[in-house]
Amino acid sequence: MRRAAADNEYLHKDFHGALSTGIEYLHRRCGEDAVRDYLRGFARAYYAPLSAALREQGLVAMKEHLERMYQIEGGAINLTCSSDELLLEVEACPAVTHMREHGYAVARLFSETTRSVYEAICEGTPFAVEVLEYDDATGRSRVRFFRRAA
Amino acid sequence: MIPCTDFIPAYSELFKCLEARGGREAVLDFWNYLSDNFLGNLKRLVEEHGIRGCWLYWSHTLNEEAADFTMELDEEAREFRIVMHRCPSKGRLLACEHIEPYHDYCGHCDVLYRRVLEPLGYEYAYDMSRCDEAACSVTIRDNRKQVR
Repeated sequence: MRRAAADNEYLHKDFHGALSTGIEYLHRRCGEDAVRDYLRGFARAYYAPLSAALREQGLVAMKEHLERMYQIEGGAINLTCSSDELLLEVEACPAVTHMREHGYAVARLFSETTRSVYEAICEGTPFAVEVLEYDDATGRSRVRFFRRAA
Repeated sequence: MIPCTDFIPAYSELFKCLEARGGREAVLDFWNYLSDNFLGNLKRLVEEHGIRGCWLYWSHTLNEEAADFTMELDEEAREFRIVMHRCPSKGRLLACEHIEPYHDYCGHCDVLYRRVLEPLGYEYAYDMSRCDEAACSVTIRDNRKQVR
């Protein structure tokens, strides 16, 4: 079998299971704070360009990031955006859905891939984030990004 | 959510995080844990189909990862081989200018799969000499005694 990269779309959803296994491992060996520290560190490093765009362009940068992400993953979302506030409503997290459907264990702190990651992306920007709802069983969630008080 | 398309940098950063906390031993311990807890499908396929199980496993993963590879199965010689011309994972890390890959990122492929296959009686030979170019090769041989 010979395959070139262009022959396939890059979408290997089993990676969600591998990430979940890593989070659970870190939780067991090093505790809850280690999981949050790891995810924040990852987000600060990898999503640094998104944080920069958030500073320069405002919430539209986050809105576009979320639209791209859920388009790739195939999740149903609703986004309500103004210059001061962005509300993300996720019907069911595509990562959690995939793991449940394929028998992968969902890490107890998997919700931190939302909370800690978005908090770290917002660090050093005029915006903050709060997770209004998160259902561990499905990943259904409501997340509010908002302009910090001056 | 971290999309699965951003998993590879998250994985690489996890290795760095573990090494900062517990040294190289902590990274190896995690790779062993991941092999034991995440690669049950590879183990099941090889137990059920023999060397063909390798073909079935990597046909699925490498196509979904949009890898640039050549894969060969010689059931008569009881050998399976992957030549990775461009690894999608290492390639992504090398292409990402604002993060530095974990220094032994490719080492996980040696530990994870070897740990599943060798106890089942398979030889696992991994050539990492071109990992810095996102290229490698793996040869797996069925060394189990044949029942006549």
